[in-house]
Amino acid sequence: MKLTRFALLLLFLWIALLAGLTWFVQQQLQIGTDLRLFLPSPTTPEQQLLLEEIGEGPASRVMVIALEGATPEQLADSSRSLVERLQESPYFRLVTNGEVSLDSVPDDLLSYRYLLSPTLDERALDAKYLHAELQARAQDLASPAGAFLEPWLSRDPTLELLKVMQRWQPMQEPNRLFDVWFDAKGEQALLLAQTRAAAFDPDQQRVAVDALNAEAERLAREDGVKMTFSGAGKFSVMMEERTRGEAQQLGTAATIGMIVLLLIAYRRIGSVVLSALPLASAGLAGLAAVSALFGTVHGITLAFGFTLIGVAQDYPIHLLSHRHATRTPVEVARDIWPTLATGVASTCIAYLTFLFSGVVGLAQLACFTVAGLAVAGLTTRYALPVLMAPTGRDFGDSVWLDRLWRRMERLPRPVWAGAVAIVAALAAIVLAPQPMWESDLSKLTPVPKELLIQDQALRSELGTPDVRYLLVIDAADAEYALQRLEQLDESLQALVAEDAIAGYDHAGRYLPTAEKQRQRQARLPEPATLRADVAAAVRDTPFRPDVFEPLLEDVERARHLRILTIEQLRDSPLGVSVDMLLTQHGDRTTALVTFSGVRNVAALQRFAAAAGADVTLLDTKNASETLVTHQRVKILWSLAVAAVLLAAVVTFSLRRASRVYRVLAPMALTTLLIIGILQAAGVSMTLFHLIALILAAGLGLDYALFFEHAADDPMEQRRTLHALLVCSASTLMVFALLATSTLPVLRAIGLTVSLGVVSNFVLALLLTRPSAATHVT
Amino acid sequence: MCLHVPAWSAAQSDSTAGDIESTEQRIDALIARLAKPAPATISFTEVRFSTLLKTPLIVSGDLGYSGPESLDRRVTTPYREHTAIRGESVKVEREGEKPRSFALKHAPELRGLLSGFSAMLLGDAAALRKSFNVELGGDDDAWSLKLTPADSKRSRRLRQIEVTGRQSEPRCFTMTLADGGSSVLLLGNAAMEPVASDVTAIALQRRCAE
Repeated sequence: MKLTRFALLLLFLWIALLAGLTWFVQQQLQIGTDLRLFLPSPTTPEQQLLLEEIGEGPASRVMVIALEGATPEQLADSSRSLVERLQESPYFRLVTNGEVSLDSVPDDLLSYRYLLSPTLDERALDAKYLHAELQARAQDLASPAGAFLEPWLSRDPTLELLKVMQRWQPMQEPNRLFDVWFDAKGEQALLLAQTRAAAFDPDQQRVAVDALNAEAERLAREDGVKMTFSGAGKFSVMMEERTRGEAQQLGTAATIGMIVLLLIAYRRIGSVVLSALPLASAGLAGLAAVSALFGTVHGITLAFGFTLIGVAQDYPIHLLSHRHATRTPVEVARDIWPTLATGVASTCIAYLTFLFSGVVGLAQLACFTVAGLAVAGLTTRYALPVLMAPTGRDFGDSVWLDRLWRRMERLPRPVWAGAVAIVAALAAIVLAPQPMWESDLSKLTPVPKELLIQDQALRSELGTPDVRYLLVIDAADAEYALQRLEQLDESLQALVAEDAIAGYDHAGRYLPTAEKQRQRQARLPEPATLRADVAAAVRDTPFRPDVFEPLLEDVERARHLRILTIEQLRDSPLGVSVDMLLTQHGDRTTALVTFSGVRNVAALQRFAAAAGADVTLLDTKNASETLVTHQRVKILWSLAVAAVLLAAVVTFSLRRASRVYRVLAPMALTTLLIIGILQAAGVSMTLFHLIALILAAGLGLDYALFFEHAADDPMEQRRTLHALLVCSASTLMVFALLATSTLPVLRAIGLTVSLGVVSNFVLALLLTRPSAATHVT
Repeated sequence: MCLHVPAWSAAQSDSTAGDIESTEQRIDALIARLAKPAPATISFTEVRFSTLLKTPLIVSGDLGYSGPESLDRRVTTPYREHTAIRGESVKVEREGEKPRSFALKHAPELRGLLSGFSAMLLGDAAALRKSFNVELGGDDDAWSLKLTPADSKRSRRLRQIEVTGRQSEPRCFTMTLADGGSSVLLLGNAAMEPVASDVTAIALQRRCAE
């Protein structure tokens, strides 16, 4: 292949431009992984909360860890060593095995025990109370419990710290062996680990998962203990790895297949290499456009974007197949441009509607695809022909293509078959037993069922918060939120008593209101009074009178403490639960009440309704389903607008109604048929099916336009047939490969587009070419 | 003189080895003698000394043993209290109060008592040696078994248990704690006579050795 000086310069410029774009993209591009970009912007407070919960909520960050395969004593030891090591890890906010040790309370919180414990609400710390308590402590000391209480008695004879610690325990206590959480059978030691990263931050979750895997290896090696863990974070990492792995494998297979196919079709390495340039330009242009406009690119945008602009490979194929014995590639490009441009423009306009779908991820996808396809179309028209060898094989001379064309011309085109297909598709859509749409968010990235069951079992053993129901309190500030929680606490206790729920948790269980703390502080006796009271209380007990100096010191300190704030508690190792349950959003504070063991939803709803306007019972399942429905409605509207625009572009370009009909009919019929087939096969449609449908429609439009373009020139007909055979074969190969994937998302796209390619090719061939009978003359 | 030293020390070590052999056998024999079929009940008086206390705490009641993982300690005077050890968990119930539960590992004295008790009532010297270093002193009429926890973690709180007795009758369990406190458990006949409220550890030692 000899290039002119001008062509060489162009090639150099092109490659330099691509290199420049690559540099820009590398500088700019940040890949985001927050799945919420693919959800519509929330319109109700429930949806707003849901989106916060999905990504950042307490439940989504918690990993459940189980240790098994050794004696309970060994498991408990391993559980303790795991807590110690993971607590040092920067990836976890909290790791707990249920063990409560009085030593775990940081020193500066110790004196706060009199402000945190409810004791002083009911009685004063006077001689009478102290005397009764000391009598009880004497009995404790003579009992087997004395051993672990003894070191604390001189400092805390009323066991205030123990009362505080007990309040901080989960209400629904899991089984305990050797002081740490176990399952009911006593075979698995259980732990909870809360990651710092949100569940849908796979990059950060991966580091946390890696840390856990390393611990699992260590435990297996050192203690012979088998460690398993599960949680939303692990699942998202796992699914991402699987998707990436499969996409890579299938992508490699598709690339090799594509190269082989192009080599067979054109038999020139130079042509194949050249034909890759528009696609490469498309990808880089898309990335550059998205990173310039949005800053970050979502991982899903990238994955699907590259799938969608794969269509751009068809453009150079058209150019290569339409080569002419007597005309230069530049002339050929000018020839097929109106047809190609109509296809590119209408597809781009269809994607543009996504920009206004209100879903950021889809807008990115649209931006990526539109920029990519436009660049691929323009480079195929203006740059690629210059680089191509002026002469090449003319497929218009091909004998076998001629024979194939004639045979296809003679195929029957029964109208009744079309009618039957339409009726059958409609019947399938109406009669299919499964819901037409999939509303369950989790089905988009499904986790293997056995893992979910295992996860659920562990969570119910541990009494972790119910993932479906949450009470949300909207308050002006933390103090007001704590006051509301204090007011609601009685009703919540009643719910537990009537067995509507097994337990609940909220920030008020950890931190009393400032008002309450102040009241308690005011009730603490002055040093002289307390000293006299202690002396009086000790007198007829077996205790020595001089051992309670530490108590006097602590009470005096407590009298002058600044009220414990949520910020102080947050910074302590005990603050993690509080942090999750009380969050600051701008100038508002949101307090959550989580439930465990929800048995009576109606009672919960009654309670929430009576609690006031600032209290909402969030049903996350319901909210997520309305969110998905809402999203789908938006996308369907976008699609309807896209269809209208597409028809308008085609009409504008082709001008005659009969031509417009011939071009649009195959595409419309194919869309209907695909939906019918999917419904008949029992598939509920998701967002990804919709994206795939648009892709298939774009392909169908191209096929129809080119069949239509071929008109009555036999040479041109053969070239078009060659181009469309190569296009459809290559596309079918790529998407049929995707259809073999084990991942529902990839399978959905692969299957939908594969069906679309076949149906579009056949229908375009049959419908855009009027019956042979009227033609053969 | 110098020449004699090696011979003397060799003889000494020989005789020590022989002593260990016979001591072990004596311990085995003693413990085998103490064996009783479960369930077994024995009355006790426990005297607890602590650095926090001016006078010791004295409670009495009975101990019920129904297997290596099950021990009940019932206090009847001066108040009623029931401690049940089941496996690794301990539950203390006192009249008019909420029961309190905790793990056995928090109560090393209790664990020592339980393992000592189990091993003796089962007549299982090997089990006893698993948890303790065992030393035997005295003769059949007044023997004493010194049990030192083999596990260094446990010895952090519980320094030693000394069991004293006569023939096949154990009389006292004396538990010495690392912080200077101690607890003396008078068993069976030794618990018959009341204990003075200002009793000293030495007076109790005497009663145990009687």
